[in-house]
Amino acid sequence: MAAAVVETHALGKSFGLVPVLLEVDLSVAAGHAAVIIGGNGAGKSTLLAILAGLAAPSTGNALVFGQDTRRLDPDGRRQIGMLSHRSFLYPNLTASENLEFYATLYGVENPHGAAQTWLRRVGLANFAAERVRMYSRGMEQRLAAARAMIAAPMLLLLDEPFAALDSDGVAIMADLIRAELARGCAVIVSAHGQASIDGIELDQYEISHGQLESLTDRIEPSRASRLRSLLGRQNP
Amino acid sequence: MSAFAAVLSKDLRLELRSGISTIAMVALAMLVLVVLVFALGPGVARGPEAAAGALWIALVFAGMLGASRALLSENENGCIRALLMSPVDRATLYAAKLTASAVFMIVAVAAGAILTVLFFNLDFSGALARLAPILFLGVIGFAALATLLAAISGRARGGELLLPLLIVPMFVPALIAGVRASIVALSGAPMATARDWIGILVAFDVLFVTAGYLLFEHVIGEE
Repeated sequence: MAAAVVETHALGKSFGLVPVLLEVDLSVAAGHAAVIIGGNGAGKSTLLAILAGLAAPSTGNALVFGQDTRRLDPDGRRQIGMLSHRSFLYPNLTASENLEFYATLYGVENPHGAAQTWLRRVGLANFAAERVRMYSRGMEQRLAAARAMIAAPMLLLLDEPFAALDSDGVAIMADLIRAELARGCAVIVSAHGQASIDGIELDQYEISHGQLESLTDRIEPSRASRLRSLLGRQNP
Repeated sequence: MSAFAAVLSKDLRLELRSGISTIAMVALAMLVLVVLVFALGPGVARGPEAAAGALWIALVFAGMLGASRALLSENENGCIRALLMSPVDRATLYAAKLTASAVFMIVAVAAGAILTVLFFNLDFSGALARLAPILFLGVIGFAALATLLAAISGRARGGELLLPLLIVPMFVPALIAGVRASIVALSGAPMATARDWIGILVAFDVLFVTAGYLLFEHVIGEE
């Protein structure tokens, strides 16, 4: 197995006296995908925020590329892409300007060319000059995915990536995830229900009451392969 | 393009499109000056003392309204998180935000200075030329303080309400020095007599620009 990109050890997080994550152990290797399933407020987004270096663990530790996420250096941060509930996009900039801005921050060569390429990949080339404030929620989600991936990160954190997407959007997002995995990127996806993407082996975890449990170990192989037949479909 | 230039040009472009900060600051500066002229009355509202005081009150109020907008606007759609996740050095982010805030404020303060000279019946060309460097120092100090405190208060509940309460008391030394130096500039006295006051303004700027540059990473970091 490839070296672990993400490793957490007895990771815990509390907000005040309320524990959100308890003793979470997770390991994801390069080129592998994990899906974390849980209900609202289960701690999925908090876990992803900790892995992105945006929140500090209360107990235990989280390592990304061998670095403690509390002290990620610029090179470590450069290798992480995140699609969050919030789009991280500037409503008064056009789609193209948003992508060029982030490409510049990440030191991407030819930011303009990269922006145009990614706009085509997410099916928004015809709306490149539109300000993001005019976008529908689904279009914004596609653009946010392009923003997260434009710098070719080696770890992708996708918080409910299929939310608000139509069937075309779901297909595009699945294609993007497949391509990123094929490139060797580690992918962690959060979802409300069991998720599957054709052609991708997903390590499934369930998070409940702050505790993370592997579902992959509990599901027999034949059932696991049937699960993968649904493209991005999430059960409530 | 460097990260500094990218963040700064993005902020300036957003401001050119919306004009929110600059228009609000210019309007407030005008309003403060008009109110003061009416409140002081035609007899008192003449002379460099009243003009300098009015101008710096306008600077403080306009700055409170808009100087921290460059940073607070990043909260929309969670963009601040994307900036923190990026490989850009946080001191560079501070420098870009400080510069953007200072540019917004300079526009408002320039308008305020012209109105002050008009309302208080002062010598136009000489007064403005002598005032400009003093106001510039005041703007830099205010923007440095506001950007740093906005980063701190942005993490607190009701931070935007807290911000003016933090800024004004800390800006008082610069305010006193700025008013005194401006009185000298507007009265036509030799600028050498304002050397000590200008020295305090420079020291204030150096202190808060340096503090912001060094502390920004720690105050805007993780949750």
